[in-house]
Amino acid sequence: MLLEQLVNGITLGSIYAIVALGFTLVFGVLGIINMAHGEIFMVGAFVGVMTTSVLGWPLWLAFIASIVVTGILGYLLERITLRPLRGKKGVSHLAPLISTIGVSILLENLSHHIFGAGNQPFRSSFAEISIEIGSITIYLVQIVIFAISILLMIGLTIWLSKTKAGKALRATAENLETASILGVDTKKIITLTVIIASAMGGIAGILVGMAFNSVSPQMGLSMGLKGLAIIILGGMGNVKGAMAGGLILGLSETFLVAFGDSGYRDAIAFIMIIFILLLRPQGIFGSKIAEGR
Amino acid sequence: MLADIINPYFLQILSFILINILLAISVYVPLSSGQLSLGSAGFMGVGAYTSALLTIHFDIPLIIGILAGACVAGILGIIVGIPSLRLSGVYLAIATLGLGEVIRVIFVNWESLTKGSIGLTGIPQMGREILNFAKGFGFDPAMIGLKSNQFVYLVIVLILLLLVIATIWFVVRQQNSRVGRSLSSIQMDEKAAESMGINITYYKVLSFTQGAFLAGLAGALFAHVMGYISPSDFSYHRAVEILIFTVFGGSEVILGAVFGATFLTLVPEVLRFISDYRYIIYGIVLIILMAVRPQGIFDIHLLNRLKGLKRSKGGVR
Repeated sequence: MLLEQLVNGITLGSIYAIVALGFTLVFGVLGIINMAHGEIFMVGAFVGVMTTSVLGWPLWLAFIASIVVTGILGYLLERITLRPLRGKKGVSHLAPLISTIGVSILLENLSHHIFGAGNQPFRSSFAEISIEIGSITIYLVQIVIFAISILLMIGLTIWLSKTKAGKALRATAENLETASILGVDTKKIITLTVIIASAMGGIAGILVGMAFNSVSPQMGLSMGLKGLAIIILGGMGNVKGAMAGGLILGLSETFLVAFGDSGYRDAIAFIMIIFILLLRPQGIFGSKIAEGR
Repeated sequence: MLADIINPYFLQILSFILINILLAISVYVPLSSGQLSLGSAGFMGVGAYTSALLTIHFDIPLIIGILAGACVAGILGIIVGIPSLRLSGVYLAIATLGLGEVIRVIFVNWESLTKGSIGLTGIPQMGREILNFAKGFGFDPAMIGLKSNQFVYLVIVLILLLLVIATIWFVVRQQNSRVGRSLSSIQMDEKAAESMGINITYYKVLSFTQGAFLAGLAGALFAHVMGYISPSDFSYHRAVEILIFTVFGGSEVILGAVFGATFLTLVPEVLRFISDYRYIIYGIVLIILMAVRPQGIFDIHLLNRLKGLKRSKGGVR
């Protein structure tokens, strides 16, 4: 029982971590909280449902489709809502926040109109395969989710620290103007960041569809808010923090549902935010918050 | 005559507009010191539930219930406001967003008190209470040529109108005072304001608490106008809707909040077919607005130009 819950918690936590990574990337580079990230995640999940159940595509193709669609959404997000605000005089730092809130309610209600309000089942024979070790049952999906999230983490860390584009991204995150003086095409880097973050949201979307077998237009909101909670918990713009924060939230939610009152499950994330912000605003792994952000 | 003009449906829409104006102002006031609060729906819910529960269970007069609702929301505002001041813009927005969600989850789960997601019914309705009260003195709406329900809605609108005017008067007066100047200097540049000797903690908590109080007041009024509340009335969507009122109308001047709330409440009523696509349109409006005119429809320049227009029409020049 305990072990099974542990596995469930880690699965949920890995998905949270992937969502949070998307938030963290965008915040790290742009200093913007992308409130539409949860909805992009939801679109990713719906692309998964539509391609596998309606069109009958295989799972790997669904993954690619979802990455492509959310990547395009990310590009549009940056092109239409974020770029016009950048470098404009007299724009308050709250403007991007409000404008991404606009994108989020637009996407949520569009998919509400297109797909209806109810839950869509995610039909995939893959989700049924399970392994029994002693007294506990582990689904293959859970292992896959964990593996994918670890791979994404490692891949992202290597990409950020070793490749040229990753270095340019970190330089841009450090200081946009200096980076552009030193010959980094910051426009391109920012667009790339938003696209990668959104694609990660899309991957998380499909994984959630596989793990919990249901997808609905409202799931973006709660997932987005939890992602926010996690990056605050782990430290804004911190990749390790996002992973650790995701696992902490996933485990504590699973254990609350198993041993406590499931109704308060959704409140944990926010109680966590409030306490973290009050006690240690820079997050568990964060260094002191840079002024002026 | 009077009785023919007064249509309960219009009066009800008018009362929604007035409540929404209060809500829009509750976002506007903290924003005028540079604090974005996304918790207004939560504070509204606290006000609504406090007042509704007090009047249902303890039979206390409505006015005390409503005031108590607003005060509890205000106190919660202080409790949340003081520690959140360590947080700058974006963090405060998230913390208040989290607060709003926690409040909603509590409403849903504390079933013994709040009846969970079903919501509270049988909340004393403001207009009817006043009608019964007036009847105690031998007053009958027919005496001024009105039907009972016309009278009920008319009274609600009049009370709300009075409250809205009083609130606007208060906010405008405050803006032209020492407090208001401090708030706008904090919005411009916190550090500069602090070095000029302005106690920024005090003023930020003040404006945040005023926002919470107003949201609580609007929530309590909402409960006693509708007679029915449920946690879904105070969800994240409500918070976004309130934010849009202010941002759309213009977040720099109070006229913006008033205009935004009025316009955006009227449009879905007048254009029924739009009402289904309301949130889609809200989303597009927010995106376009931020890109084209981030300060909202009304700003100080536009107001000045309008004033100039009026003067030249008046033939001064």
